[in-house]
Amino acid sequence: MKKSVLAALAVLALSSAAFADTIKVGVVGPFSGPFAIQGKNFKAGIDAYMALNGSKVGDNDIEIVYRDLPAADPAQSKALAQELVVKEGVQYLAGFYFTPDAMAVTPLLEQANVPLVVMNAATSAIVTKSPLVVRTSFTTWQTSAPMAKVAKERGVKKVITVVSDYGPGIDSENAFKTTFTAEGGEVVDSVRMPLSTNDFSPIMQRVKDSGADAVFAFLPSGPTTLGFVKAYNENGLAKAGVQFLAPGDLTQESDLPALGQAAEGLLTTFHYAVSHDSAENKKFVEAAHKAIGNPAELSFPSVGAYDGMHVIYKMIEATGGKQDAQKAVDAVKGLAWESPRGPVSIDPETRHMTQNIYLREVAKAADGTYYNKEIATFEKQGDPGLAAAK
Amino acid sequence: MAAIENTSAAKPAATRPNWLVRDLVGLAVILAVAAIGYFLFPNNLALLTRILGVALLVLSIDLVTGFCGVATLGHAALFGAGAYASGIAAVHFGITDPLLMVVVGAIGGALAGIVSGAVILRGHGLAQLVLSIAVVHLFHEAANKASAYTGGSDGLSGISPDPIFGMFAFDLWGRTAYGFAVALVAIAFVVLRLITRSPFGMLCRGIKEDPIRIRAMGASVQGTLLKMYVISGAVAGVGGALNAISTQVVGLDSLSFTLSAEALVMLVLGGTGSLYGALIGTVSFMWFEDFVSAANPFHWLTIVGALLIAVVLFAPRGLYGSAQTLLDRFRGDGK
Repeated sequence: MKKSVLAALAVLALSSAAFADTIKVGVVGPFSGPFAIQGKNFKAGIDAYMALNGSKVGDNDIEIVYRDLPAADPAQSKALAQELVVKEGVQYLAGFYFTPDAMAVTPLLEQANVPLVVMNAATSAIVTKSPLVVRTSFTTWQTSAPMAKVAKERGVKKVITVVSDYGPGIDSENAFKTTFTAEGGEVVDSVRMPLSTNDFSPIMQRVKDSGADAVFAFLPSGPTTLGFVKAYNENGLAKAGVQFLAPGDLTQESDLPALGQAAEGLLTTFHYAVSHDSAENKKFVEAAHKAIGNPAELSFPSVGAYDGMHVIYKMIEATGGKQDAQKAVDAVKGLAWESPRGPVSIDPETRHMTQNIYLREVAKAADGTYYNKEIATFEKQGDPGLAAAK
Repeated sequence: MAAIENTSAAKPAATRPNWLVRDLVGLAVILAVAAIGYFLFPNNLALLTRILGVALLVLSIDLVTGFCGVATLGHAALFGAGAYASGIAAVHFGITDPLLMVVVGAIGGALAGIVSGAVILRGHGLAQLVLSIAVVHLFHEAANKASAYTGGSDGLSGISPDPIFGMFAFDLWGRTAYGFAVALVAIAFVVLRLITRSPFGMLCRGIKEDPIRIRAMGASVQGTLLKMYVISGAVAGVGGALNAISTQVVGLDSLSFTLSAEALVMLVLGGTGSLYGALIGTVSFMWFEDFVSAANPFHWLTIVGALLIAVVLFAPRGLYGSAQTLLDRFRGDGK
């Protein structure tokens, strides 16, 4: 008995010596519940990056510690982050699908001496909450504003906006309205629907009555979008020539099989399509498909996670594995690289991603599946949302 | 519980000091458990603080459900009202003293208690349950709409409470927040103990047993219940404020139906109609949830579901209630 205890202690001591250079990265995301698929994408992106670039930076082993946060819950988010920092000793925090969860963590960072790499949460203001936040995803402003330019170019004069009544929806509405009005277009009406709306026929009637040439929509991805797009087709708006414009959240790849033919021809603007044609993306998609299991489930959060890991690796390189949050963040300011989504860089001022935004059309592939086909590029887009907030 | 009350009512003179001793022992146990928690899990204080915040919500549900027999699935409305009241006070009106924030939270919760109580107490049984769900949805939607004040679905951020008494700052390890939470729960426990023991508390129990008889006695059923609802609101509001202070963010989830339902589950798990049951239920549920979700972040909900089914099947009176039944049976055999 005594011997075995001693042996166990020795093993413990040895292993802790051997793992002295293990750098832990805490990842918080929705890994269960209705948004589990997005968390799965986080994990696929991270796994893909580590499969392609190894799980070591210099002499340091990288270990990922996952924590589940099924829905937006800032109190739980902060408790998890605190636990990751204090108990698990993570040197980096990453992930975060929902804005309030990321917001809740920002007050901790300075004292914890830990940088936060936001892999999804898309409200502009998060980066202003702490100088230790870097974001590798997108903002709703960033992906919505270019759509206004598209509308203008395509000769659309009157637009009605229809959004779900919650943070990202309102962001999206404001982004489109501001840009479209600046371009000289007219927003004839703005409808905000409760998040739980299921029957969209009355709304489609309002769209018809408004006499708009196009409808700009934002809904959370998933079943509601499906209902909305169906209603758009069934109420004859597509036939009447009212164009459907939206940011790419609505036609994320994991929803396309369910949307099917109803989605064909929808125009969206977004920062990433799985179909993006580049060598970088081919490598990424192949590795991510392997990681996620079911290729149809791969969509945009994976690329945010993939690039987030790239930033974290660069941070570890720059600090030599020592915990120094400010130095780590300073090291990636202005960092530019070729991401699966195209050329990207971290804006040194906002610590947010500057990236291409693509105009895409849902198209049918040769094998009968649907995909987002990129048809135009808006190069090097910053985040207009921060400027608007000021 | 009821059995104890009956015997004590029969011979009040002899049992009064007994009550006092029992309550003091109860308080001592709570403080001892809190201290053990502090030393055993020094790295988990954030979780422990959150548990205490939710414990206040569960206690407040127990007041109306366990003591008065009001069925509600909308109690998070009061919790969220407290959280938002103290958060808004801090962000928009510069009230950043934690004690004042708690007071504001309690007032916010109490006001929400008056409003939702006035609505919910109109119905009975199923209708009451439906009304309570409607109330929490209305509160949720109101907070979503008033995004200028509440931050909408992005959450209300930027709450930075001052150090308590100007001395104890809220730190990363959550020591201050935990101490503050333990103090609040202990005070709430003592106050609630006094209230539930008072003639007013007895009246509430009476209403739960037989409202018609109470009315025949000449007491106002509606008025009494509403009063209890307001007290319950204040307690939930304190919990909300505690949450706002320790998290420094208030999200729409604090006003959600999910939180209401989960808190009710914790109460049922612990055992309704007793303050201890509420505390035990919260601690065991949330600790278990944290444990399994860290062990398996991808499939933990299944395990939690299985546990709940097991408890409802094998310990229908909750952990505390069932333990007490066992104890009573054991004692009965002893005599």
